[in-house]
Amino acid sequence: MAADRFNTLSQRQAAAREVPLAPAGKWALRLPGERSVLVDRRSLFANLVLAALLLLACGLSLSLGSVNLMPLQGLQTLFGEGDPLTTFMVLELRLPRLLAGLATGAAFAQAGCLMQTLARNRLATPGIIGIDNGATAFAIASVLGVGVSMAPSAMALVGAATAAALAFGLAGDVGTRGYRFIVAGIGIGAVFGALTQLMMAQVAIDAANAAYPWTVGTLNARPAGAVAVLGIALALSTVAALLLARSLTVLRFSDAVAQGLGIRVRACRYASLALAIVMAGLAVAVAGPVGLVGLVGPEVARYVTKGGVPVIGASLAGALVMVLSDLAGRLLLAPLEVPVGIITAVVGGPYLLWILLRSPRIAP
Amino acid sequence: MSKDYRPVSKSRQLQPAMLAALAVLAFTCLCSLLLGAGETGPGAALAALIGQGDNAADFVVFELRAPRTLVGLAVGLALGVAGALLQAVTRNPLAEPGLLGVSAGSAFAVAVALALGASTATLRMFVAQLGALSGCLCVLGAVRLRGVGDDPVRLVLAGAALSSLLIALTSLLLLVDQHTADEIRFWVIGSVAGRNLGDLLSILPSFVLAGVLTLLIARPLAALALGEQVAVGLGHRPGLVRLLTMLVVALLVGGATAVAGPIIFVGLVVPYLARAIAGPDIRRTLWLCLPLGPIMVVGADIVARLLVRPSELPLGVLTALLGAPVLIAVVRARRLHAL
Amino acid sequence: MNLMHHPACRQRYGTGHGIAAALLLVFGLLMSMVATAAPRVLETAYGQVSIEGTPERVVTLYEGALDAALAAGVQPLAAIATRGGSDVADYIEQRAGDVAIVGTTRELNLEAIVSQQPDLILASPRLPKQQYELLSRIAPTVVPPGTGLTADGWKAETRLFGKALGRQDQIEAALAEIEQRAAALAEQVQTRYAGDDRLAYLVRWMPQGAIVMSTQLFSTGLLDAAGFDVRDSGLVGDGRPHSDPLSLENLARVDGDWLFLATLNEEGEEALQAAESSPAFARLEVAARDRVIPVDGQLWTSASGPLAATALLDRIEATVLDR
Repeated sequence: MAADRFNTLSQRQAAAREVPLAPAGKWALRLPGERSVLVDRRSLFANLVLAALLLLACGLSLSLGSVNLMPLQGLQTLFGEGDPLTTFMVLELRLPRLLAGLATGAAFAQAGCLMQTLARNRLATPGIIGIDNGATAFAIASVLGVGVSMAPSAMALVGAATAAALAFGLAGDVGTRGYRFIVAGIGIGAVFGALTQLMMAQVAIDAANAAYPWTVGTLNARPAGAVAVLGIALALSTVAALLLARSLTVLRFSDAVAQGLGIRVRACRYASLALAIVMAGLAVAVAGPVGLVGLVGPEVARYVTKGGVPVIGASLAGALVMVLSDLAGRLLLAPLEVPVGIITAVVGGPYLLWILLRSPRIAP
Repeated sequence: MSKDYRPVSKSRQLQPAMLAALAVLAFTCLCSLLLGAGETGPGAALAALIGQGDNAADFVVFELRAPRTLVGLAVGLALGVAGALLQAVTRNPLAEPGLLGVSAGSAFAVAVALALGASTATLRMFVAQLGALSGCLCVLGAVRLRGVGDDPVRLVLAGAALSSLLIALTSLLLLVDQHTADEIRFWVIGSVAGRNLGDLLSILPSFVLAGVLTLLIARPLAALALGEQVAVGLGHRPGLVRLLTMLVVALLVGGATAVAGPIIFVGLVVPYLARAIAGPDIRRTLWLCLPLGPIMVVGADIVARLLVRPSELPLGVLTALLGAPVLIAVVRARRLHAL
Repeated sequence: MNLMHHPACRQRYGTGHGIAAALLLVFGLLMSMVATAAPRVLETAYGQVSIEGTPERVVTLYEGALDAALAAGVQPLAAIATRGGSDVADYIEQRAGDVAIVGTTRELNLEAIVSQQPDLILASPRLPKQQYELLSRIAPTVVPPGTGLTADGWKAETRLFGKALGRQDQIEAALAEIEQRAAALAEQVQTRYAGDDRLAYLVRWMPQGAIVMSTQLFSTGLLDAAGFDVRDSGLVGDGRPHSDPLSLENLARVDGDWLFLATLNEEGEEALQAAESSPAFARLEVAARDRVIPVDGQLWTSASGPLAATALLDRIEATVLDR
C-alpha cells in the first residue's frame, strides 16, 4: 500500500508540489478530478522502513529453520530450483506459514488500531472484548469433540462471531466511544474464558494437549482456506480502514466537533467496530488468540509515525511482529517449536513495557 | 465526570443499601453453612450449629463448610476492595486487579514450583503469594523507576504487558513439561474448598496492613478523583497516595490469590455494582464493596457446590458465569459512571 | 534391509537366551520376508494406509507409539519430548536411548520431522488433519482411529503400530506376556486378599478434593486385570476420563479397600503426607488401614503401551504383594 503510494507520488511529485498550502511535514497529493490527499512525510517514511524490514523478515523466515539455507538458496527454492527436501520445506512448510503470519499479524493490528482509536482506550483490543476467548472456547470445543464436529478454525470463526454478537445484543447500544460494547464484551470474554478452563480440566491430558495450540495461538500447519479468506478480507478492510481513518482522527475530539466537521459519528463508530470485529475474528480463526499483536502493532506504529490513525503502519508493524516472532519460535528452543503466541507475548510484553515507560503520554 | 456527583441524595441512600447488603451477606453465610454437596442437609447442619448434631454433621459444618465460608469472606472482601481502589486510582473502569501482574505472577510461580517437582497436592501457599506480590512489585518498580508512576493508565497497561509476559512464560513451561501442564489445569481455576484456618491466618497480616492503609488513603483518593489540583490544594500528595493504593491492591489480591487461586471478575464486577448503587465517591463505593465482594464469592461458592453434586465446580468458573450477567445488567441499566 | 534385525533382536533377548534368540532371529527374518512380499493395509483415522517392507527410519509422535515401537524391538530415530522439554517419559527413558526430539506433545516441529527423512511416522490419535496432510506426503503416517474411552483401546493401537512396523509377532508376544503377567498377579492378589477386600479406586488428589479416574483407562484396566475390583462410584460420566473434583463432604465415596493415589513424582510420599493433612482424607478408613498407594501420575494417567503396562504391573506387585 505504502509502496504504491510512493510510486504514484514520485510520478506526480512535480504536480504535487504545485498544490499550494500543504502544511509543514506533509505532501499534498493531487488525485484525478479536483481532489487531493495530504501525505504525512514522517509516517510515509516510517511505513517504508517498516515495509523494508518486513521484506527482510520474510526472507529470513523462508531461509531459516531446522535446515538453514543461504538467503539466495531460499530464493532459488522458492522459484522451484532446489532438491525435493528443501523444496518441500520451503514451499509446503515455510511459505504457507509465512503467508498466514503476514495476514494474521496485519489483521490483528488493524483491528486493534481501530478499536483503540474508537474507544480512546489503549486497553481496548479485540482480545479484551472477548473475541479471542470466544474463538478459543469454540475451537477447543471442536478439538475436544464437545458438541458439533466442525473443523476447529471454522468453529473459531463461529465463536468470534458469537462473542461479538452477544456483546452487541447485550450491550443494547454501542454507547459513547463503544464503552458499553466493550464492557459487555469483557463480561462475555470472561464467561468464555471460564468455560475454556472448565473444558480443559475435564478431559484427559492427551485431549488437553491437542487443544493447547488453540489456547496460545500458533502458525503451525494452518488451514489454507482460512488463510485465503483472511487475505482477501484484509485487502478489502485496509481500503475501508483508510477511508475511516480520517473520520476517526476527527472522532478523537468531542462528538460535537466531529459532527461540526461533517462526520456521521454513529455510522462511523459502527463501521469501525464492525471492521475491527471481522478482522479479529478471521485472524483468530487462522492462528488462534495471538491478541497481543493487536496491542503491540498499533503501539509500534504510533511510536514511529507520531500521530493520526496509523492503519497502514499498524498493519505493517503487526505483520512484522508476527513473522519475526514465528521465526524466533522456530529457532529459539530447536528442535522444540514454540508457538508464535508465546513469543509475541514474551517479546511483545517487554517491548510494550519499554515503549510505555519511555515515551511521553500518547493518546490514541 | 461530575454530573453524577450528587453527594447529599446519595449519602442518604447509602445507609439502607448498606443494611440490605449486610442482611444479604448474613443470609448468604448461613446458607453456606447449611448447604453443601454432601449428605448433610440443612436440617442436620442446623442441628450441628445449635450443638446437637452427630459426629458426621459436626465435621462437615465445622471442619469443611465453616473454613471455606471464612476463606470466601476474606477473598471476596479483598478482591472487591482491591478492584474499587484500582479503578478509582486509574480512573479506568476496565482496570481489573488481576491485570497488575498479580494473577499471572502467582500462576507463573505455581507453574515453576510444579515443574521443579511439587504437585498441587503439596504446593505451599507462600509460593503463590510470593509470585503474586513479586508480579505486582515488578510492575510498580518498573513504573517508578522510569518516573512515570503518576500515569495510572500507563500503570495498568504495564501490568497488562507484564501479565502477558508471565502468562506466556507459564505457557512455555507447560509446552515443555507435560506433568506441570497436567497439574496446573486444576489449579488455574480458583477454589476455596479444602482450605483451612491456618491458610487464612497466614495471609491475615497482609490483609490487616492493607486495611489500615486503606483507611489512610480513602480520603485523599476521593480528593484525587476531583482532580490533581484539588487534591494538592487539600494538602494531599498524589504520587504517594497512588503508590500506597497500588501497594494495598497488591497485598489484597496477592493474599486472595494465594489462598484461593485465581478468581476472576470479582474485582471488576463488585465495584461496578457498588458504584451503580452508591455513586462514584470512592469512600461510599469502598463501604459497599465490603459486603458485596463476600456476597459474590460465598454465593458463587454455594452454587459451585450444588450444581454438579456429588462433585463440585471450580469457584473461578462460577464467579465468571454469575458475574458477567451482573456486569452486563449494570451496563445496560445505567449510564456508566465515568471515573 | 534384513540385516537391521540383528542388533534389535540381540538387544531385546540378550545373551542368556542364545537358542531362543537364534530361533526368533530366523523367525523374524522369515516374517520380514513374508512381510516384504505384500503391502500391509492399515485402517487409520484418515483412511487406509498401505505400507511395504520393514520400515527402518521410524519417527514416533506419540508416547504410546514410542512404547509400542520399542516393545517391538524397533529403535525410532526421533520422538517427542514429554518431560522437561528434552526427555521422554521416565519409565521408558533408558530403552529409548539416544532418540532425537522433534517437538512436544503440544506442538510438533514439522520441519524437524521432515529433515529426519522418515519412512514411517507413527502419530497420536489426535494428530490434526492439516498436519496429517503434510506429513503423509513425506512418509506413510499412521494415525490410530479414535476408539473412544475403553480399557483395552491401547491394545488395538499397539497392534496397529506393530502392523505398521511389520512386527505383528513381537507385539503379539509382548501383549500375551502382559496378559500372562497380569493373570499371575491376579491369582496372587486373590489368594492373599478376600473377594470383599479388593475394592480399589484410582484418584488424583488436590486440596479441594479428589478427582476419581474412570474405570475405562489403560491403568484402571490393568488394575482390574491384576485382580482388583476397580470402581468409579458412579462419579465418572460416560466417555469421560475422570470426574469433576469430588466434594470433600463426599470423600467417603472413594473409601474402598485400596486407594491408588496418582501423584507427580514417582514415590509421592510428600503428596501422601499432604493428603493426610486434610481432615477429610484422614477420616477415610482406607487411610487408617494404610492402604493408600502413591503411584506415578504420568504413567498411570497418561501413558499407554506394553512397556508402560509392564512398569505399571511392577508397581502393583511391589506395593500390594510385598507389604
